[in-house]
Amino acid sequence: MDVCKTITEKFPCRKKIVKELINLISYDEEMFPNAIHIHGHTGTGKTTIIKHLLKESVRRNNENVFNVAFVNCVESYSSRILFENIAETLCSENAEEVKVENLKDFVERLRQLKTEDTRYIIALDNAERLRDMEANVLPSILRLQELSGLNLCVILITQLPLEKFYCKTSIDEPIIVYFPQYTKSETLKILSADFKNAQNLLISQLQRNKTENLEQKIDVINTVSRDFFNNYLNLFLGVFYKACRDLSELKITARKCFTYYMTPILEGNVDMSDVSRLWRCVAGQLRTALMQVYIRNGQPKSGAELNDKDSVKIAQSLELPYYGKYLLIAAFIASYNSSKEDKRLFVKNHGKRRKRMQAVNAKAKVAEKMSTYIGPKSFSVDRLLAIFYAILEEKVGLTCNLLSQISTLVNLKLLSFVSGENSMDGTSRLQCTVGLEFIVCISQVVGFNVRQYLCDFN
Amino acid sequence: MDSTISVSKGCFVFKGAAEGKKGGAIKRKLKDDNATNLQTQISKQPFYSTYTDTWRSLEIHIDQLQSQSYTKTLEDVVQYVENECIVGNTDTYDMEEIVPAAALLTGVNQPDHLEQFATLTQRILEKMSASVCMLQSRDCSTLKSAVETMVYNFIECAQERPPQSDLEDEDTEKRERKRLRRTQCNMRQLVHWYRRKYIKPYHNKDNEDDGVDDEEEHSPHAKQRTKRSHALVVILPDFECFNTTILQDLILILSAYYAHLPFVLIFGVATSVSAVHNALPYHVTSKVKLCVFKTQTAPVCLNEILERVILSPKYAFHLSGKAFKFLTHIFLYYDFSIHGFIQGYKYCLMEHFFQGNAYALCSNYTASLNQIKNLSHEDVECIRRLLSFRPYVESINDCKRIIAILTDDNYLKKKLPQLLRDCHIHFMLLRIFLEFLTVLTGDLPKCPLGKQRRELYSFCLSKELRDQPEFKECWQMLSFMSKDEFVSKVSKAISVTEDFLHSEIVDLELAEDCMTTVNEKLQALKDLLTKVVMSGMDEKSPTNSTAAPSTPATPEANKQKFTSRQDLKEHLLQMSKQHNKPSSEYAQSVAQTLLYIQNEIIIKYMAPLTRSPPLHELFVYSDVSTVRRHIIGAPRAALHMALNNPHYYLQCKCCQLSESNQLLATLPDLSVAYKLHLECGRMINLFDWLQAFRSVVDDIDNEQEQVDPQIQARFTRAVAELQFLGYIKMSKRKTDHATRLTW
Ligand SMILES: Nc1ncnc2c1ncn2[C@@H]1O[C@H](COP(=O)(O)OP(=O)(O)OP(=O)(O)O)[C@@H](O)[C@H]1O
Ligand SMILES: [Mg+2]
Repeated sequence: MDVCKTITEKFPCRKKIVKELINLISYDEEMFPNAIHIHGHTGTGKTTIIKHLLKESVRRNNENVFNVAFVNCVESYSSRILFENIAETLCSENAEEVKVENLKDFVERLRQLKTEDTRYIIALDNAERLRDMEANVLPSILRLQELSGLNLCVILITQLPLEKFYCKTSIDEPIIVYFPQYTKSETLKILSADFKNAQNLLISQLQRNKTENLEQKIDVINTVSRDFFNNYLNLFLGVFYKACRDLSELKITARKCFTYYMTPILEGNVDMSDVSRLWRCVAGQLRTALMQVYIRNGQPKSGAELNDKDSVKIAQSLELPYYGKYLLIAAFIASYNSSKEDKRLFVKNHGKRRKRMQAVNAKAKVAEKMSTYIGPKSFSVDRLLAIFYAILEEKVGLTCNLLSQISTLVNLKLLSFVSGENSMDGTSRLQCTVGLEFIVCISQVVGFNVRQYLCDFN
Repeated sequence: MDSTISVSKGCFVFKGAAEGKKGGAIKRKLKDDNATNLQTQISKQPFYSTYTDTWRSLEIHIDQLQSQSYTKTLEDVVQYVENECIVGNTDTYDMEEIVPAAALLTGVNQPDHLEQFATLTQRILEKMSASVCMLQSRDCSTLKSAVETMVYNFIECAQERPPQSDLEDEDTEKRERKRLRRTQCNMRQLVHWYRRKYIKPYHNKDNEDDGVDDEEEHSPHAKQRTKRSHALVVILPDFECFNTTILQDLILILSAYYAHLPFVLIFGVATSVSAVHNALPYHVTSKVKLCVFKTQTAPVCLNEILERVILSPKYAFHLSGKAFKFLTHIFLYYDFSIHGFIQGYKYCLMEHFFQGNAYALCSNYTASLNQIKNLSHEDVECIRRLLSFRPYVESINDCKRIIAILTDDNYLKKKLPQLLRDCHIHFMLLRIFLEFLTVLTGDLPKCPLGKQRRELYSFCLSKELRDQPEFKECWQMLSFMSKDEFVSKVSKAISVTEDFLHSEIVDLELAEDCMTTVNEKLQALKDLLTKVVMSGMDEKSPTNSTAAPSTPATPEANKQKFTSRQDLKEHLLQMSKQHNKPSSEYAQSVAQTLLYIQNEIIIKYMAPLTRSPPLHELFVYSDVSTVRRHIIGAPRAALHMALNNPHYYLQCKCCQLSESNQLLATLPDLSVAYKLHLECGRMINLFDWLQAFRSVVDDIDNEQEQVDPQIQARFTRAVAELQFLGYIKMSKRKTDHATRLTW
């Protein structure tokens, strides 16, 4: 069981599953299972472990005896590419010329490979994409052993359980292997195995920044013990494990935060044994890092400024031409008012009586009917322009430049087309995608009061 | 040239004349004789050569400036890309699925950014071994086309620049070229291509020796590093325009292949980083590592261009206040397009010089002196017709000289150098004192005169500054300032102006004359300022040895003592702090200073165009309406004009209208139908319309029911054309009715 050992050394906490897999695809005389369905949540190591396992198995066997194709189905926008990708790795002779038109060709090709004792494995990552291909692909892939007459096993790797793969033409039940999520202690163990990498990262960072006393600092880093690192990880997971279970996210953040943790030590401010002080030093930075977890800011300098989740900041940082801003405001008004109200809002001499009626109606409305909560309604380009001209005090011509602003806003995803996208004219319908807060902010910049024109606030 | 000067409002295309860019080879072949003729005719004219010179130097200047301002960010990005390609150097080491990505926040105008990304591409190629592929959203309507375009671009652009190719190398290239069809491009091809080209050990022996393996000596990780040494950079210049599902799949693909192909993604994001997070769900963002870079925003860039290039005292060409404002208005209010602004500016430049050879004088001083002798009689007449020429003539009180100047070309030519010189100096002084005034008024509360130089510039070119309420407001605020503030402000204005003199003016022609004038004024101002400082100081004991009681000699003494401006400023500040008592004397001296600035600087040198020296029209372009007509597309207005009054464009004799809603039988059918439809409501009854149409078109009096089929056909056609133009659409609700689509 050498393979098992090498793999589990690299990837701790997966011993049971690796053993199971090796049993399934081990190299004794039995036939392979027809298919294996591997599923589990993201970051549980499906892709990585299977890849390494297969690579290792190939390495230990002769390639003529053990042949592996690892293909990611995302790329396969047509089944043809999927087949060609598989065929290419399996039929190694003059690899570039592979041409496989369809399933029939593919099976035919596999049949030609027929040799006595070669074993084939086809691993398909993101296998859920197979469902989007022609209806015959998934069932046939699962019966490929039978169809090709080879000693062949298909491994489906996906995040979805098998139930999600059932389709009209029934499929053969594959063997199911589940990758469970790691527990906290397992996570700790895995992260702790990453010790050397974190160390190296720290060193290379120091080298890149050309810090002074480089030699000395590297010496310090090299004296860091595994226990010390585990200690750090305990602190780290204490903060992060509640918010994030994703292993790769944790791994990256742990590496990054380790540099923060080490900084006071490298600068000679804190002793390595003084854990509580170290904790005090790093706590703040861990908390900011926690805010940024999942955002993946590979910021070279640890700039904390770009956490612009809230829309006010975005609105402030967004520079739009003046009329662009007004168009956006007009679009917002058009989206959140019904067109019946337009006359009352924008025409100066609307009848008083109507207004009172409106007021009564508005009172009758329940708060949950507030249209700003309901979400944007669509409006026509004509209406947008009409409102634009109504809210803009100055007179501007209806020029190309102005009209092209509309498509700019669409490009920026601030507006979106509901219909008539391909030939924009006065009747094409649009929708405003930004929120009230954002618009209020924009309109403050141009000195305009939106609320005045929103039915909800009148 | 005459052949193009026409009464009609057509616009003339000067092929290749305006821009020195080379057209495609095919275009060049197709160029007909006429155009070439025209071109040679024009390019021989003196005004044309002045124009090209001016434009070239402007263009170079702008390019320089822009590349400078991009440099910092671009360097950062390149640095990042470079770093990511060295294995073991980053926090995602041994995680083979995480693609490094840089988000470049570019600001809203997307078409402009392509240039920026082209520069970035160049920089990356200069700095490191990499292939760069610019993937635009229009190429990515499906995942298939996205991948195909990307792969194709990578393979293709590597072929365009064969890296020191050997003979064998070319062989492989040829084989590649033959085989490569777009539909065959897929990731597998890319992997093969990459292996063949950049990873030697993987490949069969026969192609092994192309390229250079110089990486070996660098590090013990040589193997690893060679593997990753050639980066594949994918640039998505318009991130927001991408279909998100396609983008997600594309990123997943890149991530899946990252183990084999070292991709680096660069997103051009127009809005903010959150656009990236909105477009990509977690399972995709977890496959990229994002790093955010900011570039200068477009308004800042524009300001830089305006202040450093367009308003630079180096160039003789100026825009009038209105024209200047018009161009900046388009920029700020409509599109934020720097490119558009520059093109608009260039258009003004062309229009200006195209007015005639007299305008060849609009260049720097010596060049214009050389031009004088080339002036023909007509050109001189053209000068005489300039608006500002008349006041000049009137100001001469010698009859003989007046006659000479009006009739004798040579006499006028002799006079020209002096006149031109005055103009040059006028504009230079204007620019210099613009600097002064900007500092003085730019940061007042609410900025009545505007914060930027550009605002102030267009303001004082178009209006008499002194009479404007905004100006008075500014002056009032200045006079209410505390002593500290006032003194520091004015001395800062002085020092900024002096800096400007030293950095921008010194190397120019006529600098001497300007400098003497300016220095004189500034000196007088300094003296006045000293008085301000001294005011209210008298009652104090004269312990301040340096600042003796305010005698006329004091300023002199001060001037000698303080060699550097910094010294003087500090000293003044210090002194004013010591004596902070507001006194009437202080107010008086402030008023005096302000009055001096107003009378001696603003009225004298910052005159509006109406008071500018004679012949300033040669240097200033002010025809806003022409520019507006030509660079602002108003399709709706143009169509309305064309249909409502065809005569405007056709210039035919038959369609002249006495009033705009007149209907003539001679008008084109489409026009008649259009004008009739204008009179209708939302719904148009086709039969009524036809009848009205017939009554206009068919002059024979016909009460008979039957409509002439010919007329009916004409009507049908006109209606179809109106529908095509988008004015009407056939109603589905009511038969035989059309709906109007315009209001
Ligand atoms: N047991 C383990 N030991 C060490 N590292 C692990 C282990 N399990 C997962 N990892 C690491 O976690 C990261 C994510 O793993 P991987 O990409 O294989 O997950 P996945 O299940 O394929 O996720 P997805 O479903 O999103 O594709 C990898 O960098 C891998 O090295
Ligand atoms: Mg995976």
